[in-house]
Amino acid sequence: MSSVPTAVQTDDPTVVPKPDDGGRGMLDSRVSVGLQRRVVLRGLIVAAVVLVAGLFVPDLITSSYYMGVAADGVVLGIMAIGIGFLANRSGLISLGHTAFYGGSAYGLAIATTHWGWSPTSAALFAIVGGTLLAVAIGALVIRSTGFGFLMLTLAFGQALYAVSTLTSVRSVTGAFDGISVTYPSDSTTFLGLSQADLGQPDTFWPLAWICLVVVAFALWLVGRSRFGVTLEAIRENEERARFSGYNTYLPRLGAFAISGACASIAGVLFALKASYVSPDVLGFQLAGDSLIATIVGGFTILIGPAIGAVLYIYAQGKFGDTGNLELYMGLALIVAVIFLPGGVTGWVVEQLRRLRTLTAGRKEARRS
Amino acid sequence: MNLAQVLNGLALGALLMILSSGLALIYGLRGVMNFSHGALYMLGAYFAYEATNQGLSFWLALIVAPLGLAIVGAALELGFFRRLQRRSHIEVGLVTFGIALVINRVIVLIWGDDTHPVSAPKAVDGTTNVFGTDYPTYRLLIIVVALAMAAALVLWLRNSRVGLHIRAASHDTETSGILGINVDRVSLVVVCLGGALAGLAGTLAAPYFAVSPGMGQSILITVLIVVVVGGIGSVGGAMAAALLLGLVQIMGNVWLPSAAVLVPYALLIVVLLWRPTGIAGKRV
Repeated sequence: MSSVPTAVQTDDPTVVPKPDDGGRGMLDSRVSVGLQRRVVLRGLIVAAVVLVAGLFVPDLITSSYYMGVAADGVVLGIMAIGIGFLANRSGLISLGHTAFYGGSAYGLAIATTHWGWSPTSAALFAIVGGTLLAVAIGALVIRSTGFGFLMLTLAFGQALYAVSTLTSVRSVTGAFDGISVTYPSDSTTFLGLSQADLGQPDTFWPLAWICLVVVAFALWLVGRSRFGVTLEAIRENEERARFSGYNTYLPRLGAFAISGACASIAGVLFALKASYVSPDVLGFQLAGDSLIATIVGGFTILIGPAIGAVLYIYAQGKFGDTGNLELYMGLALIVAVIFLPGGVTGWVVEQLRRLRTLTAGRKEARRS
Repeated sequence: MNLAQVLNGLALGALLMILSSGLALIYGLRGVMNFSHGALYMLGAYFAYEATNQGLSFWLALIVAPLGLAIVGAALELGFFRRLQRRSHIEVGLVTFGIALVINRVIVLIWGDDTHPVSAPKAVDGTTNVFGTDYPTYRLLIIVVALAMAAALVLWLRNSRVGLHIRAASHDTETSGILGINVDRVSLVVVCLGGALAGLAGTLAAPYFAVSPGMGQSILITVLIVVVVGGIGSVGGAMAAALLLGLVQIMGNVWLPSAAVLVPYALLIVVLLWRPTGIAGKRV
């Protein structure tokens, strides 16, 4: 996340330089990044508290089934908050994040199984690879908006799915059979976790939870930085932002890459936990379901999509067997889009806000 | 590559042409990419299956199924597109995505998970000699029906009063509303027509591919690619791109059988790099 551009620069000499860049920009880090130290510190404290509190979840949830739901939900949630970040900050709805999720999952599986890499370096490789893939695809699709973007990301994701199932690459990806993640030796561990530990929800949980909190905190920082504000300006009116001297291409590409990096992290976690990767991780089903989880959870709030993802995993366990999951997903999407524009979390926050103004109004009335 | 393969490409392109022109029409008028178009196509195929199962002839199914889908289209227009016309287009698009999921599941609940064959009518079940090649008559029928439909659609859009209204409303909804065109009624016509075209494509596809629950989703992605390649919202562009994709796909099957599934995506990327606005020159 350290590669986030701190300010939007442009090489075009005809573009008028931004007024507040003059003189102080480079020296005063607060100005160039646009973050106040006090706000960052407060956020850091909140994140640390949440992080530590979350580590006790396995003590609270004793049922291993629900622990599995929570762990899977958090993994999918990391991808979902990436999709939500892009939707919220750039107004771009992506159906192609499976490319980075599945791409990095395959990256980890191939690097460990075929190349004999340790899971740690394979995970790093997969996350970097997934992010670079996001940069490459983003460079092609980021100029489009609305439906064009939706369909292009879908097409790229499905193209990757088609590649993974080709018989000519069966020796690498296993085609429809998928590929089992095999570590170089039984004693190799991922950050101290053996393959068996990673497969157990309660021992896997700290890894997933730490990733979720770190990713969410990083996205929060990015959103509050000057970069995040520039993104919002571009989202609101791309033309006006361009006329005001901002490069509108690179920030959007940056947002897409960040969001792709989230999906890559989630993909690696999935591959580590499941120890098995099949073309499903690149499939249309996952692309649609992760987007629906994002929307039903509500992406106006940073962690909303993660909550949507947990709800989705819960619903999957409950309705997946009867096959009615698809029906309920469709209905949930329709209801959420029409009646709950901010998703479930947006609705809850709205109710809380209404309650607060109500009680504040009553206090006011009592006083007078 | 022989004549039969070219004709196969044309038959596939013909189905894509019927589907994508309906999609492009709806997009032009409501600004919404209808993600339930694949599901409507599948519903059309199941209607045809049910109709022939009930003893109706296939020719009658060719009329009944599109009519049924026109009614579904009317429900979509009245229930969703019209009510949500003030909302952002992408939101309405997401609603159609949800509708597609619901329709997919409802189809499985009614007709089950199995693949059902639908037999072509006796009159076109054999083969016809086309310039010395024996070719299934039914696939020729698909090509003929699609081309006739395309010609009729273009003529209707160009020459009729309603066609004029559709073109005007697609160009600028607000201004045409001010000038006295009842945009809601035009939109109802267009969405019904789009649904009917999806039903027609589904009916035609039923004897060709057989009827199965996955058929809508697999063709949806191809149709979306066709619409992007053709230039979003352009009916003519979509028709041209559909035929192009059908032919390129079959060429891929012949020359690169191992990677033929990638052909539509490759076409999309090539068009994007070379002409980002699609064949008809509309911005993606």
